[in-house]
Amino acid sequence: MFPTCRMVILGAALAALTLPPAARAQTLRVGASAPVTSIDPHYHTYSPNVSLDAHIYEPLVDMDAASRPIPRLALSWKLVDNTVWEFHLRPGVKFHNGEDFTAADVAYTIDRIPRVKNSPGSYAIYTKAISSVEVVDPHTIRLHTKQVYPLLPIDLTQVYIIPHTLGADPATEDFNSGKDAIGTGPFRFVSYKSGDRIEMDRNDNYWGPKPDWQHVSYRMIPNDAARTAALLSGDVDFIEAVPTTDVARLSHDKKLHLAETVSLRIIFLWLDHRGMTPHVTGPNGEKLDHNPLTDLRVRQALSMAINRNAIVDRIMQGAAIPSGQFLPKGSFSYVPGLNPPAYDPAKARQLLAAAGYPKGFRIELDGPNDRYVNDGKIIQAVGQMWSRIGVQTAVNAITWPSFIGQANKGAFSAFLLGWGTSSGEASNPLRSLIATRTPAKGWGAVNRGFYSNPKVDELLTTALATADDAAREKLLQQATTLAMDDVAFIPLHNQKNIWAMRAGLTYAARADETSRAQEVHPAK
Amino acid sequence: MSGMAEIAPAAPETPLQRFVRDFTSNRLAVGALVVVLLIALAAIFAPWITPQNPYDLAQLDIMDGRLPPGASSAAGMTYWLGTDDQGRDMLSGIIYGLRISLIVGIGSALIAGVVGSTLGLVAAYAGGRVETAIMRLVDLQLSFPAILVALMILAFLGKGIGNVMIALVLVEWARYARTARGAALVERRREYIEAAECLALPRWRVLFRHLLPNCLPPLIVIGTIQIARAITLEATLSFLGLGVPITEPSLGLLIANGYQYMLSGQYWISFYPGLALLLTIMAINLVGDQLRDVLNPRQQR
Repeated sequence: MFPTCRMVILGAALAALTLPPAARAQTLRVGASAPVTSIDPHYHTYSPNVSLDAHIYEPLVDMDAASRPIPRLALSWKLVDNTVWEFHLRPGVKFHNGEDFTAADVAYTIDRIPRVKNSPGSYAIYTKAISSVEVVDPHTIRLHTKQVYPLLPIDLTQVYIIPHTLGADPATEDFNSGKDAIGTGPFRFVSYKSGDRIEMDRNDNYWGPKPDWQHVSYRMIPNDAARTAALLSGDVDFIEAVPTTDVARLSHDKKLHLAETVSLRIIFLWLDHRGMTPHVTGPNGEKLDHNPLTDLRVRQALSMAINRNAIVDRIMQGAAIPSGQFLPKGSFSYVPGLNPPAYDPAKARQLLAAAGYPKGFRIELDGPNDRYVNDGKIIQAVGQMWSRIGVQTAVNAITWPSFIGQANKGAFSAFLLGWGTSSGEASNPLRSLIATRTPAKGWGAVNRGFYSNPKVDELLTTALATADDAAREKLLQQATTLAMDDVAFIPLHNQKNIWAMRAGLTYAARADETSRAQEVHPAK
Repeated sequence: MSGMAEIAPAAPETPLQRFVRDFTSNRLAVGALVVVLLIALAAIFAPWITPQNPYDLAQLDIMDGRLPPGASSAAGMTYWLGTDDQGRDMLSGIIYGLRISLIVGIGSALIAGVVGSTLGLVAAYAGGRVETAIMRLVDLQLSFPAILVALMILAFLGKGIGNVMIALVLVEWARYARTARGAALVERRREYIEAAECLALPRWRVLFRHLLPNCLPPLIVIGTIQIARAITLEATLSFLGLGVPITEPSLGLLIANGYQYMLSGQYWISFYPGLALLLTIMAINLVGDQLRDVLNPRQQR
């Protein structure tokens, strides 16, 4: 009895070992850096969710690796009137449940989004410009907007289409259980273990190029060291967000391959633009009756005192590029020649003296220590550099939830934040970060430095009402230049997104940070 | 004590002389005491003996970050134990870190000792409801893991050395209370307490002038061990990012900073602070063990 049993097990083990490599290679095991909060594509605007959703669902318009819009479920789109966008939909596309994809599904999705219950971050921000939906025929749909709204195709890259046969208001729980997790994407949902993994199978009826993987195991490993270790030990084939401390080592490992690209995420320092600020005092700790940061020369000095190359080289270990504006080179509305100020501590001191602070002042520099790559280390390094020009800096790094709570209340004078420009063009950061706080318009929603410049607002208003791409780009470039020359905030660097995978795989690194199994290919 | 056959000395020994003789009979303990004293001296005189003030950002340079032990800075200074990612001299960082460890360790052990012992003595002397109330509180406190309680307190109070000490005192007082009560229960049945009470001395006087001195030996032993425990706890809390601010790293935070570089082979950022922590705690524990042997009446002949 026992010997037979053993023989069977041994036989099975041998069979597994001798399995053709092709069959084993059919599975891709992905190590993601953050747990998703739902399988419902309309529940929470959160980048880990967007990354996963792109496997199962598809939007009308997608982004390519460099974050430029490309057709996905829509074949083409155009403005037929100043306030009417017309989308021609791709024919012959089927959902995972076998139903045809038509304009009714688009209308259904746009209708559902604002009504998702308990959403911690609603996708309605991407659909609220749409005032009405007109289904022309099964493969043509017209979206009406109240005003000219050139950004609609870009907003729709975040809107994943679900079938209208799910009925009135499907519950988020039914997506998480898999019952309603139905899209048109290259993979179909198999199972979801909250906080652990999502299993997916290839959609063999996919309309586009078939993925190379029969099966995808999408595992969530938030601990950096554990994720790297999982790749090194062969538990996963592909990891995202490689920690900068490990980049040097992994890039020398012949069994591994790295892919990297400059991210749309900028890391910057906010300076408080209000008349009085909480954490700036005189050189001996005495109270000041004004805020030195409102003086342009002081802001220029603080920016000039920062050795961005040293931060990129020593702290980020090369996994970033010094930055002087919102977006990296190659993006829509990037301003050629708008570089960060050269590192010049001597000139920074002169500027401080000219502004009336020959002995500097004291400032507290705050930041999170668990949100952005090396955040706590970056503010310490900036603290070193500011101290050298006579600005005595106390550095305070705290955990993200309490940091962002205080930042929202305006409790800081100088602090580090990051901004990922999901739209890939400058109107998004200009509207959210730089525009004067105007809650009614939704402008300046995260303008935590209380910056206000009427000229920038005016240019932005004009840009948002300009349908012509070239003219709009020009206006956005002007607004960006104005804000940066005025040191609205101090840009530090654009992070690089780095993926690591076992040798023999390739990945076209994406600027939007998402990891997509369908874009991982065996090297030819 | 080992079975040394000793001849009674000619002159009667004072208790202190006897204590010194007993203590020095173990060479390992003497060595440990020397280590403790050296660490204490280094910590006290840190600003004068370290090559750099590791807490002054203006003295650090990230261009000197992650240099291996023995490397020199652009300015010609030698980093004997290397530097961390901010260009902080590890040797200076460790000595300043030891300073924080000792201040937090000794400070919290002393305060917890005073609070805990007083409550323990009062419980034993008063008895009845007071005793029940105090001792159930002690039981409650000791039923939670110390690190858990400390984490909760710090989550509520926020970071900072002062808050770490408050958390440690709140975590540690219960052990002193339990020990003090145990010792006091034995002592208070003795005749000298009865005699003192017959003289109608005030209660506080009986408590602190008669009862306390006779309960001291076990409390001293607990105290040394609690110092080592407090240092470990502080290092743990700082390692988890809840202790000291990032610009003033203690040993725990130094280890945490270097921990991320272990995979890339830059061992020194974690290794040397870890070694310093290990040495300190081992030395204090050895001294504590020897004190227990010397002060334990049952092991005296």
